[in-house]
Amino acid sequence: MIGQPCNDLRPLQEILDRYPREEAALIQVLQDVQRAYNYLPSDAIEKVAEGLGVPLARVYSVATFYKAFTLTPRGKTLVKVCLGTACHIRGAKQLVEEVERVAGIKPGETTPDRSLTLETVNCVGACAMAPVVIVGAKYHGGVKTADIRTILGSAASLAK
Amino acid sequence: MRSGSVVEAALRWQQRLSEGGFWAMVTVTVDGRSVKVREQAYVLEACRLAGADVPTLCHHEAVEPYGACRLCMVEVTRPEWGGHTRMVASCLYPVEDGLIVHTATEKVLDVRRVVIDLLLARCPNTPLVRQMARKLGVEETSYEKAAEPTDCILCGLCTRVCDAIGPAAISAVNRGIGREIAPPFKEPPPACIGCLACAEICPTGHIKYQTSDTSRTIWGKTFEMLRCSRCGRAYVTREQAAFFERTRGIPASYMGLCDSCKRKVLADTAAQLCVTR
Amino acid sequence: MRIDSRAAFDAAVQAAKEKVTGRKRQVFVCCGTGCLANGSAAVAEAFAQQIAEKGLDVSLGLFLKRTGCHGFCQRGPLVVVQPEGVLYTRVRPLDVTEILDQTVANGHCVERLVYRDPSTKAPVPKYADIPFYANQTRVAMRNIGKVDPADIEDSLANGAYAGLVRALNDLSPDEVIAEVERAGLRGRGGAGFPTARKWRATAMAKGERKFVICNGDEGDPGAFKDRSILEGDPHSVIEGMVIGAYAVGAHEGFVYVRDEYPLAVVHLGVAIAQAREWGLLGKNILGTGFDFDIKVSRGGGAFVCGESSALMRSLEGKVGEPRAKYVHASERGLYDCPTVLNNVETWSDVSAILARGGDWFARWGTEKSKGTKAFSLVGKVKNTGLIELPMGMTLRRIIFDIGGGILKDRPFKAVQTGGPSGGCLPESCLDLPVDYEQLTAAGSMMGSGGMIVMDDRTCMVDVARYFLRFLVEESCGKCVPCREGLRQMLAIYDRILEGRGRPDDIGRIERLARGMKLGSLCELGKSAPNPVLSTLRYFRDEYVAHIERGECPAGMCRALTRYEIITEKCTGCHLCTRACPTGAIVGKPKQKHAIDQGKCISCGACYDVCRDDAIRFGGRGRPEVAAAAQ
Repeated sequence: MIGQPCNDLRPLQEILDRYPREEAALIQVLQDVQRAYNYLPSDAIEKVAEGLGVPLARVYSVATFYKAFTLTPRGKTLVKVCLGTACHIRGAKQLVEEVERVAGIKPGETTPDRSLTLETVNCVGACAMAPVVIVGAKYHGGVKTADIRTILGSAASLAK
Repeated sequence: MRSGSVVEAALRWQQRLSEGGFWAMVTVTVDGRSVKVREQAYVLEACRLAGADVPTLCHHEAVEPYGACRLCMVEVTRPEWGGHTRMVASCLYPVEDGLIVHTATEKVLDVRRVVIDLLLARCPNTPLVRQMARKLGVEETSYEKAAEPTDCILCGLCTRVCDAIGPAAISAVNRGIGREIAPPFKEPPPACIGCLACAEICPTGHIKYQTSDTSRTIWGKTFEMLRCSRCGRAYVTREQAAFFERTRGIPASYMGLCDSCKRKVLADTAAQLCVTR
Repeated sequence: MRIDSRAAFDAAVQAAKEKVTGRKRQVFVCCGTGCLANGSAAVAEAFAQQIAEKGLDVSLGLFLKRTGCHGFCQRGPLVVVQPEGVLYTRVRPLDVTEILDQTVANGHCVERLVYRDPSTKAPVPKYADIPFYANQTRVAMRNIGKVDPADIEDSLANGAYAGLVRALNDLSPDEVIAEVERAGLRGRGGAGFPTARKWRATAMAKGERKFVICNGDEGDPGAFKDRSILEGDPHSVIEGMVIGAYAVGAHEGFVYVRDEYPLAVVHLGVAIAQAREWGLLGKNILGTGFDFDIKVSRGGGAFVCGESSALMRSLEGKVGEPRAKYVHASERGLYDCPTVLNNVETWSDVSAILARGGDWFARWGTEKSKGTKAFSLVGKVKNTGLIELPMGMTLRRIIFDIGGGILKDRPFKAVQTGGPSGGCLPESCLDLPVDYEQLTAAGSMMGSGGMIVMDDRTCMVDVARYFLRFLVEESCGKCVPCREGLRQMLAIYDRILEGRGRPDDIGRIERLARGMKLGSLCELGKSAPNPVLSTLRYFRDEYVAHIERGECPAGMCRALTRYEIITEKCTGCHLCTRACPTGAIVGKPKQKHAIDQGKCISCGACYDVCRDDAIRFGGRGRPEVAAAAQ
């Protein structure tokens, strides 16, 4: 909730230059900022409000409404366990628990060394591959509890 | 903080104007009573004109209707619908000529009771909610009481009035069950001008503030009060005066007098004009 | 390349067809998200590499194509070899050499890679003979798996934009709407609203500026048809939108794609750019003077933005809060302008309808639900994947004939349709013909087309709770019945699933459900009680068991289930020990095993792998009850 500034707004200006100065661009701009900084820095949010001519309170409201945005930095590698219905039926809950056990973090949390963030998502559309775990950009299908250690092992090394 | 008599007076005035052919009118039937109501009105207005008691929480004449509390829901139908009815929020459903409205059917009462029951679980210690619940026949909530009770019913009136007439300093933050009204980053809002419109429109008194002759604090932000140059009363904040100048071009000298002194000065000026004639 | 007349279009299509037929031999590698998850990118790379090394593109005229989702995702990576029409499943990069040497060069089948009938184990090498495909009628998905989504000429050769040419040159906007009406097309996003009626209202609405929108916010967990269409055949959607824009008088369009579909966003971008280049989008389309262009907008991660008014707010850069739809979007939608919003599949159907005619589409389906529908058949079924079928096929045929029956031949328990807005249908509903009205009457709904099959190892109370948890996270929070109602409903279910149910809970749930259904602002809240109500309707005994006896008949609720090994039956095979995630099973191989209740978390993994029926479950401390039930 409390903002964390990034103190380097140069990438932000490039992002703002890509879009027209209007409210309709807000979500697209914030997504690019999230991608560039791995979170939404408070000073970036302020600059976006200024840059698009949208009141700060409204930008903050949008930033906290959508799941794509985080106000605190995420880990280098994002581990997403899909909790869609097909995945749930095929044991996704157990997978989340295994990740919690192995990585020592709960969904929404980041490891102390900032290498991994665990998140749960509500269906990524790969239902025939249930249960699905996405590590970074890589999709793993038909994951069993026993596979988790291996999958995460590669993520930890990705982070290094 | 709503003055019932002011609203009633406004509605009576509206009725007189409508009878005088000032607006295009339509005829709506509410609980069997036929009323004429202006064409651009929403059903809630027709209900009030007909004397029906439709409760509301997120509605206020000063801002656009929002449809969030769902207490004002009514059942509507039309002769040609063959008995089919719709449950609609009367604050947002536009009137139509020939519309038939029922404000106290089983379905309507069911919804009202469930809504107030749910609010009672969220705000068990809030007088307005308890009062409304009692009136609707809900003594105790059927649900789990909130671990941290609040007075905020999330009606959104504060954010809506701030957006409409103010600097849009606060907003609804997070979504779903985590939703709350807060300034950005939960810090004193940079845009707030301390006008107190949010606190005044809040139906439960949830928004707290302190105000004195010299300063005012709300949302954790402190403001300097401006004193009236004629009577010395503190009546607006410096930031509020600056906001009106910035956004509406109202000069600072105009804000130098409080409302009642402005009226006195105007009356004096008018009197002088008459004398010189 | 820019097509500025009908004659130019015909010539371009002709050239494209010749190019495609000139490819004597082809290898299609599925690169939809599902197969990519299974490693198809490496397979495609291996093919590319070996084809180049061996010069097969020259010597054999071999053409490698990366296509969109074939639908049979569970058997991926999928490779199709033409002209033989052979489908290879579970292809690894190491298999590529054999495929090239055996099938491509010599026309022989690589037996170990073909699909086998799950019962007879007989090999079925040809794509067209496999029941999963043979039973389908692909309209919206007609070109997925056939075309390279990054090559517009491939789409042109396969019929793309023929409908648009006809619409712009031969038909007036009203006639286009009439064609869609003849087809009986209803919105494929869930509600099934008649498409022609929506278009007509928007065409008649007053306003200088009008919009058409494609809803690609497929949020129903378990549904992925829109993803496949956008990834695999974006031109079918683009074409549909141009047709729709012409019909209603719009010049601006948006495709709203959920944030979780990055590949769809990329492929759409490529297709839009190519369509513009070729004069099929943008200014003066096909030289007819009609202007229309499309922007792609990414969602921010919110299921509620699948609701049309919330989607429009999101496009405007606001939070996705729905608003009252007493005034329809056809009059005041995006930026308060007349707007048509349709689902991805609907747009893809539109382009097919304009090319082949409304009567052609209406040949399929039931009286009120015409045409075909895409379904994602997933869950505990043997053949999971994406299928398109005529409306009116029974659930039994879909699940057992096309789906191949239940995984591990366990008993069928329920099929959930319509996502979080839908319901669970039991065995007694298996002969229901699938159409909008029938599903709604049974207490479910069509929704996006997700069909999640459940076996006896599914707790229906838990399924209802699953959807409540999902909706609690996705509710926008604006209105009291949905926000507070879901919160309280979930709290009641949590209690019940932990064995703390109260006798009046069912009545409490039913009252709350009624309030939410009648009072919520939008369909998310109004239909949120559907999973609850449908499970109460068909599986009430499970609720009673949980509440009154603290038991879970399916053995899935951990707090209520105790697993035990039946010593007499145990063969010491040790499988359970390996499956156990907490090391709670003690026993050496060939000796009798036992469960250490102190470590056991009741996950049921042991029960699932035991082949000797040596594990039983029951209420905590009351295994005899479970024995009696079994």
